[in-house]
Amino acid sequence: MRKIGFSSGAIAYGDFMSALDTLRSSQFPCIELSALRISELQPLISALPLIDVSNYSYVSIHAPSSFSREEECWIAETLYLGVPANWPIVIHPDAIFDFSCWSRFGRRLAIENMDRRKPVGRTASELQDIFNLLPEASLCFDVGHARQCDASMTEAFVILSRFAERLVQIHISEVNSASQHDPISHGAKLAFQQIAAMIPNRIPVIIESRVNASSIIAEAINATEALSSQSTI
Amino acid sequence: MTTALETIEKRTNSSWENLRTARRVSAEQRREVTTALEGYATADASIVVVGSMAREEFTVGSDIDWTLLLDGMSRPQDEQLARDIRRRLDELKKKQPGPEGVFGTFVSSHDLIHRIGGESDTNANTTRRILLLLESVAIGRGDALERVMRNILYRYLEEDRGLWFGSSQSKVPRFLFNDVARYWRTMAVDFAYKQRTRPAGGFLLRNTKLRMSRKLLFLAGMLTCFDCHTRFADGSERRSFYKGKPVEAVIERIGEILSKPPLEIVASALVEYDFMDLSIKKLFTAYDDFVGMFADENLSEKGKTKRKHLDDLPVEEIEGDLIAGEAREISHRFRDAISELFLTSQTELGKLTIEYGIF
Repeated sequence: MRKIGFSSGAIAYGDFMSALDTLRSSQFPCIELSALRISELQPLISALPLIDVSNYSYVSIHAPSSFSREEECWIAETLYLGVPANWPIVIHPDAIFDFSCWSRFGRRLAIENMDRRKPVGRTASELQDIFNLLPEASLCFDVGHARQCDASMTEAFVILSRFAERLVQIHISEVNSASQHDPISHGAKLAFQQIAAMIPNRIPVIIESRVNASSIIAEAINATEALSSQSTI
Repeated sequence: MTTALETIEKRTNSSWENLRTARRVSAEQRREVTTALEGYATADASIVVVGSMAREEFTVGSDIDWTLLLDGMSRPQDEQLARDIRRRLDELKKKQPGPEGVFGTFVSSHDLIHRIGGESDTNANTTRRILLLLESVAIGRGDALERVMRNILYRYLEEDRGLWFGSSQSKVPRFLFNDVARYWRTMAVDFAYKQRTRPAGGFLLRNTKLRMSRKLLFLAGMLTCFDCHTRFADGSERRSFYKGKPVEAVIERIGEILSKPPLEIVASALVEYDFMDLSIKKLFTAYDDFVGMFADENLSEKGKTKRKHLDDLPVEEIEGDLIAGEAREISHRFRDAISELFLTSQTELGKLTIEYGIF
């Protein structure tokens, strides 16, 4: 049985409190609290001691996807001090200017593979360049990004083969031609099933599809089916 | 890094200077074109070159067979983009294919991926697809090319039931191999067709290319397919690898092989066969002579290069013509070396050639 949950950003954009409220009744075991825009970071960090996430067995944080060189070390410091040490922090590699700001995170930092708009982090070899600079970092594998880069799923296979030991979390959604996260289509489901067996059941799956409250359960079923296989890992 | 071809060259005490020069010229030409077309390729559109530049055999007189490969949204500007590429190459005075031909225009990935076999797989579509697989390089960004190649390979491999579930111990992707073989035979048939429809000239140039570079292409395609079987230490390792239908793993491996030019693919397959060095040397020396012949810029008494001479020579004047004789002799050495290396039951490659190459 997959451990599934949603990104707060997919449910309520930057309003993580609203997302938590919406998701409460669904009783998913996982959640990712998202601060994709820099203005969302401080409110989220400040609220962490106050919000109740005790019903989740897995919580991660998504760091801002874009910031300036001047803001970088402050963001890293804020995350390092404000996020519980056992919560992975997902980051887009193209956002990083100074890798030394992030090296002390070790395995807590999860590098996400990128969509094809981005100049780095899309392929296994581009990810390797990042891991050379952050040798202890883990991997948040975005299966929708990987499919957008290579619909044959060969690149997904290569990434999962090469970085199996680093895998800490999955992002799943349909990634459209504008790189937006849509509900998982039938075509995406077929593609994701090709490599599903390479993703161990214990790895948390975070749904990034932008859905309204009435579609949450249906999308969770979609995600479960998309990652269904005879996984024996 | 030393290539397999360089390893064999050294081991056999050979000097394939013409191949080295052609590699250097190909790289220079490619750099020039890449600079000129900077900004034309995108994540969804690759400028793909096939032919001698992709094979790293570019010589004087070679043309640039390019295609604008589209793998994304169709846009009204696509045709203009293709025209602009043509104009830019014209400015550089590069020889190009005609605008109505198989190359020199834009092509969507859709037909290449979905139309394999059947009525809708036209001669042009097959040509583009197979050349994309066997001899192509991207000018600038290659995202679309790499994606399309993998998707085409996915079709050939995922649908090959025999590869995954067949009772044979051999693991050669027949669907892919048969299309490569079909294309080789199609080229041979089209050669005869052109002899009828283009009686004015070009017979001997086409004939020499068919016997040499086209045959090399088939050989490289065949050996790429055979690698799916031969790369394993033993049957147990092979069975273990193919368990669970690892389509993507095979695509990755084949893609890695096809990223090399055809000569290097052949050299990589033969590098372990040092006990056949005489024949191996014969094969590559013949090819070196062929490339040297096409690169020779010296003019004859009639003011023609050897390549131009072959292109212009009427069929009825072939007999007794010295340059035609030279071309024929080179192609015979190439043919004989291939026969010695592959039509034998003494080696794994030979057994596979006999098993798959004929019936």
